[in-house]
Amino acid sequence: MAERATPIRVLIAKPGLDGHDRGAKVLARGLRDEGFEVIYTGLRRTVDAIVSAAVEEDVDVVGCSILSGAHATLLPKVVVGLRDAGASDVIVVAGGIIPEADRPALEEAGISGIFGPGTTIPEVASFLRAHARRR
Amino acid sequence: MPADVKHFAARRELAQAISTVERPGAAANQRIQVALATSAAESRHALVVGITGAPGAGKSSLAAVLADVARSAGRRVAILAIDPSSHESGGALLGDRVRIDEHPDDEGRFTRSIATRGSGHSLAYVTAAATILVEAAGFDLILVETVGAGQAEIGIARLADVVLVVEGPESGDEVQAMKAGILEVADIVVVNKSDRPGAQATFDRLRTGLALGAGAPELLLVSASASAGITELLTTIDEVGSRRGIRGRIRRVEAHLIAAAEAHMDAQVREATASGALTTRAEQIVAGSAPLAGALSDLFGFSEDSDA
Repeated sequence: MAERATPIRVLIAKPGLDGHDRGAKVLARGLRDEGFEVIYTGLRRTVDAIVSAAVEEDVDVVGCSILSGAHATLLPKVVVGLRDAGASDVIVVAGGIIPEADRPALEEAGISGIFGPGTTIPEVASFLRAHARRR
Repeated sequence: MPADVKHFAARRELAQAISTVERPGAAANQRIQVALATSAAESRHALVVGITGAPGAGKSSLAAVLADVARSAGRRVAILAIDPSSHESGGALLGDRVRIDEHPDDEGRFTRSIATRGSGHSLAYVTAAATILVEAAGFDLILVETVGAGQAEIGIARLADVVLVVEGPESGDEVQAMKAGILEVADIVVVNKSDRPGAQATFDRLRTGLALGAGAPELLLVSASASAGITELLTTIDEVGSRRGIRGRIRRVEAHLIAAAEAHMDAQVREATASGALTTRAEQIVAGSAPLAGALSDLFGFSEDSDA
């Protein structure tokens, strides 16, 4: 194994009341194989719990998987929560079922990337390598 | 500054310090030195408990429920959860938080997932340094959960004040309990999942097997999921810990120095492997065109007289 730079750390979170985590697990596993350190937090986490975990794990990226339709409410709260915790250099990306019409508002709210169905793991990986903070 | 920034400031500082010591160098040494000075000045003494055992025995669940019991007794509790990095990609999937409830408003708790990052052992190189930082941040009880496979027991025995080995309800016979290996490093052997069939029988077999040796470890039957026997376990941990005295910080620095030496050695081995120097020398030795003597100093910079 050649010397590598410090791996990018990614928290994969399932905010709110949404019991479907297959997509999140596939992404977590896929990003591991792309060389990321992935912290998976499990189902039904509150925004505060996600922010607190992101701070303790000192992650570079918070990825929220959301299929419940609550994205417009919850995702901006994650961005604000991180900012209030002094972690505004952590980028927030989202995946799941997010209608096209809702995207501009989320981007406006500070969501860096939105990945819908059909996105490949290498696409997500190269986006994160390009946008996550440098160490 | 919004109130929340202050709220998270201490945890954020500790989290960033751990990231700093994950990258060896001057900044890492500086950070560890500051932490040691802080702990000495403030008379901070954490009890470091290593939790090891086979995958699936219930290490994460036990760490989580121990943390809950200790926290409700007013102690400040940190969990360091080690998971393996992939040798192929260098990435890692760190899943221990799934079993640990988040307490975003509680400054008396801290959980960090640590990937082994090229460590040949299943304890990450950084673990000892992380315990030094966590102690300096004012945590009294530090639970270090190992990968639970391979050679973790050696590293955790060096580092921890108290070593807990977790066994599942069907963990073999008394002859296995007598074998060298993981049970040798145990201060406390915990048979988890006491609510499952086979747990009592495993407990009895282990008691028979372990009782034959001198300095036998404590043996307890608990259920992490039902939170049964956990208060007794914490009492036993404290008893063993207090017998150990206050050498803890010296032991942690020793463990850190050993880990740093291993990291250095492992990096040299990787380099000699990747560059082809190792293979070239091996070919020459086999062909008789270069001696075996001197190979370690040529490849890894060992001094001549240590070179067999």
